[in-house]
Amino acid sequence: MKYYTLFIAAAMILALAPKESLFANDHCIECHQTAGDKPSELFKHDIHFQKGVGCSGCHGGNANAEDMEQAMDKKAGFRGVPKGDDISKTCASCHSSPEKMKSFGSSLPTNQWEFLQSSVHAKLSLKGKEHIVQCITCHNAHGIVPVKNSSSPVYPLNVVKTCTRCHADAAFMRSYNPSLPVDQLDKYRTSVHGLRNAKGDPKTAECASCHGSHNIRSAKDVKSKVYASTVPETCAACHSNVDYMKPYKIPTDQYEKYTKSIHGVALLQKHDQGAPACNSCHGNHGAMPPGVESVSKVCGTCHALNADLFSKSPHKKAFDERELPECEFCHANHEILPANDTLLGISPDAVCSRCHTDHENVKGYRSAGRMRQMLDSLEASERFAIHLVENAEQKGMEISEAKFKLREVRQARLQARTVIHAFNEEQFQTTIHQGSIVSLAIVQEAKNAVDEYYFRRIGLFIATLIITLVALLLYLYVRRMEKK
Amino acid sequence: MKPLLKRIYNWIDERVEIDGLVEYMGKKYVPVHRHSVWYYFGGVSLFLFIIQVVTGILLLLYYKSGEELAFESINFIMSKVQFGWLIRSVHSWTANLFILSAMIHMFSVYFEKAYRKPREITWVTGMLMFFLLLGFGFSGYLLPWNELAFFATKVGTDIAGVVPVVGKPLMIFLRGGTEVNGATLSRFFGFHVAVLPGLFTVFLGIHLLLVQRQGMSEPLHIKDESERKSMPFFPNFILRDLTLWLLVLNLLAILAVFFPWELGKKADPFAAAPAGIKPEWYFLYMFQTLKYIPGTLWFFDGEVLGILLFGIAGVLWTVVPFWDHKSSRGEQNRFVNYLGLFAVMYIILFTLIGWLA
Repeated sequence: MKYYTLFIAAAMILALAPKESLFANDHCIECHQTAGDKPSELFKHDIHFQKGVGCSGCHGGNANAEDMEQAMDKKAGFRGVPKGDDISKTCASCHSSPEKMKSFGSSLPTNQWEFLQSSVHAKLSLKGKEHIVQCITCHNAHGIVPVKNSSSPVYPLNVVKTCTRCHADAAFMRSYNPSLPVDQLDKYRTSVHGLRNAKGDPKTAECASCHGSHNIRSAKDVKSKVYASTVPETCAACHSNVDYMKPYKIPTDQYEKYTKSIHGVALLQKHDQGAPACNSCHGNHGAMPPGVESVSKVCGTCHALNADLFSKSPHKKAFDERELPECEFCHANHEILPANDTLLGISPDAVCSRCHTDHENVKGYRSAGRMRQMLDSLEASERFAIHLVENAEQKGMEISEAKFKLREVRQARLQARTVIHAFNEEQFQTTIHQGSIVSLAIVQEAKNAVDEYYFRRIGLFIATLIITLVALLLYLYVRRMEKK
Repeated sequence: MKPLLKRIYNWIDERVEIDGLVEYMGKKYVPVHRHSVWYYFGGVSLFLFIIQVVTGILLLLYYKSGEELAFESINFIMSKVQFGWLIRSVHSWTANLFILSAMIHMFSVYFEKAYRKPREITWVTGMLMFFLLLGFGFSGYLLPWNELAFFATKVGTDIAGVVPVVGKPLMIFLRGGTEVNGATLSRFFGFHVAVLPGLFTVFLGIHLLLVQRQGMSEPLHIKDESERKSMPFFPNFILRDLTLWLLVLNLLAILAVFFPWELGKKADPFAAAPAGIKPEWYFLYMFQTLKYIPGTLWFFDGEVLGILLFGIAGVLWTVVPFWDHKSSRGEQNRFVNYLGLFAVMYIILFTLIGWLA
């Protein structure tokens, strides 16, 4: 009876198994299932099981041997449970071989082990003998299913949970990187990505979308997908994909705009790592568009003085009442171009004229016009001073002090551009006035230098004339004397 | 002589008895021949020395030595002090013209064999003054504490440090330490305004005294008494000298106004040396030679050998009156002529190569 049952069971396994099943004589799973152990139970649902890789594929040994001792004989290649890096090496023995993977009909990449070794997770563990992370840390050991399978721990909806098993564990993370925050999950759950992910949308970004999977590197690593200057490209991988973003009905031109912006140029062209990327304004793990009211706070993290002046200005109240997005209203959001003087004033391209016209909000209209005039006047005065200084320099005059003072005028002009955020004409005028005074002093110094230049030449002419005359007279006197 | 001047003259004569000196000067004659023009370069050199003393003292009124003050004080002199730009430019241009004039004077004396007996001491004091002059140039160049001066001094003192035995201590003595820094500047300032002028004045006094005492040397080719012509030293030669001095003064004024001496960038000891650092033109032929000498020549270090050769050449040149016996006997010495010609050609050629390099 016993044999009968076994025969039926074996027949059923063969019937359920893939057509080229190798398990007809796989006594490992046969015995382990009989013993009722969990790994063998899980392994039944494992993709490897379905593709014909038996227990011996990872653990070695002779699966065909009926005798346990023979099956688990080291001479038969039995390895037992691999430890440490041997785990990943065992996986890599197939997953790093394109030929083997092809023989199983798999189109998976074969560079995971190579990537893992170069990743931040390849640092040595506390034991000092193995990598921190092995393949099974994320994929599990038995019961491995394809990534696209919703039960996989690396399925997009499960990735966050998998990663945060370690990354939200303060005690564990302290052992490796005490300065690394462990609140990513909390932040993520408040983000647009996290909210959608929680609702079951597998398309929204999770950990691996931004950090990569096997090749995760420290954010400070220039090869990292989240390295400061790579972040815009990483975000754009989804956000600039029109088809991918279609269901979300949001624009997909942010990256294109950003690359043209002063921030994008600074980060991507001038390689200024301090320049803001997407995450600087939207947050990283808690990524979300800043609310209308918090725009100035976000911009103010860098542009502190401008934000402070704005928050005290009469515009603050007006913007709040109209629910206008503060900084963004005048400077745009993703395509923030270098601010120039044309933003100020009453011309059609000036941002002031969006709200202030000669029949609506007239006070501000007039004030904007006057402030623009002041700024133009200072700029003209600076240009004139530069011209005179260059002229004096070309004439070889020592004018380094006046040249140095030109910086003060430029500084005053830049300061005026900041002070404008207070939208206080009197305060603006004071700043412009300071620059104008310095500019006038430079003009005077440069004029003096040019006058001195001509004085020197006239002086030289007169002195040379007198000396030559005296020399000539002396010569004639000597000649006359010698003739006598 | 007008009564007032006569009275002043008499007043002085009563006290210091200058009548004898004036009478002596009145009887002093300067030979006139086809090479007489070279006599004037001694006078021109003296005039340039006087200008250097006067402008140097004026600069001293505002110049401040020290790493943090030197550059700024020169900048102040050039931009704020009335005619400071003129004084500084004249001082810098005169320094160069002085060395040029002294070189012409030296070579003219050499080729005329004017160093021959009994004028050996005059020649030696002249040579010593020439070396002091190079010292003036080297020490004065650093005083504005600008980038070029800083690195040129570094290179220059490095070369001095290569001299066997005394080189290293000499370099440390010149720099006031192992590196060119504020201590070097203070030291060079001291050399430039106190040590060198003091020594120079002593040698100049001896030199002028001997020139007055022995008169101008006549070239060897004038043997016949009938060929011998002369002019009174006073007033003829002096007035001619004065005319030339005025023309030199004109030249200096033109150079100072049209080519004001630049100040450049302040020295930064931590900055990299700018490309193409060169010494002043009067050191250029030596600098260029050292660049051409291979690192090792036979068993010697190339640089050391070059410095030693220049040193030996300088000594031999200085003591030429003591080994050129032929000239002293009134005979022509072609070897001395060829040697001098070689020296002139060598200096011109290597200076030009260095300049264009």
